[in-house]
Amino acid sequence: MHDAHSGQDWRAWFAEHGARLRLIARQWTRCEADADDVLQEAFVRFWKHQRHLPGNPNALVVTSVRRAALDLLRRGDRRAAREKVVGDDMDTVTWFEPETDPRLAALADSLKLLPAEQREVVVLKVWGGLTFDEIGEQLSISPNTAASRWRYAMEALRKHITARTHD
Amino acid sequence: MTDPDHDIEQALAALRPLAPGLAVTARLACELDAPASRRGAIIAWSAGLASAAAALVAAFIFLGGVVESEAPHYQLVRVEQSRPDVQFFRPVQMDDGSFARPVRVRWQDTTRWEDARSNTRLINYRPNDQLTLLPLETN
Repeated sequence: MHDAHSGQDWRAWFAEHGARLRLIARQWTRCEADADDVLQEAFVRFWKHQRHLPGNPNALVVTSVRRAALDLLRRGDRRAAREKVVGDDMDTVTWFEPETDPRLAALADSLKLLPAEQREVVVLKVWGGLTFDEIGEQLSISPNTAASRWRYAMEALRKHITARTHD
Repeated sequence: MTDPDHDIEQALAALRPLAPGLAVTARLACELDAPASRRGAIIAWSAGLASAAAALVAAFIFLGGVVESEAPHYQLVRVEQSRPDVQFFRPVQMDDGSFARPVRVRWQDTTRWEDARSNTRLINYRPNDQLTLLPLETN
């Protein structure tokens, strides 16, 4: 099989992109440990089966992350009770490095308050580097719906951080 | 005039997501460093060869001829304690006439060990549920 990225150092690639990929995994999982598991599984799947494919590997890895997260959710029925509890950490565990800028800190907190369907569009656009067309494909929605969720999310974030900075 | 959405997007992009844990990086390194010949051999198996091999393995296991491989060496990789769930109940009167408030605290402890060589893990999940009475002072 022809390897379109034969010169690619995948360890270096993961070192560069691992943090944002983990954030993408994190917003589709219930806890930190699940996010780590999903990220590992997704990257190994990509590396074993898709790393030879031409084009930008980013979208393929993001797709792999989403599939691994969905697989984990499907397997999760038997651990439902546990996940119900650990799911609570969505509000308490930070997703980002600590920020000294109060506006950025407020923004990091506000992101977690968004409805899940808006948050995933924001995460996929900002940290996934995907277009609305690609986000639509990922989430099985139209690009217009993705763009609409993005606009609602921006409006909500603006309100949240304005309220926070005026407290 | 600046686009307010663009400002928010710029600010979001300035946030720095947490990096994956060291355990993930280590496990990925193991996967990526696995000998290429082994991976190539696995991929190169045709369906027929694979099924024949599977039948041989099944027969071997059935006849008890499998050789015990080296035992995995598990290493502790994560210890987690969930946020406690605290429930306060109505005060109750004790036998001695004093009052106390029952409090129920629930949390989970999860400990995980992994063996990088065999890529297996052990997870010990322990739910905790404690009911205590907090004495109340009445004047």
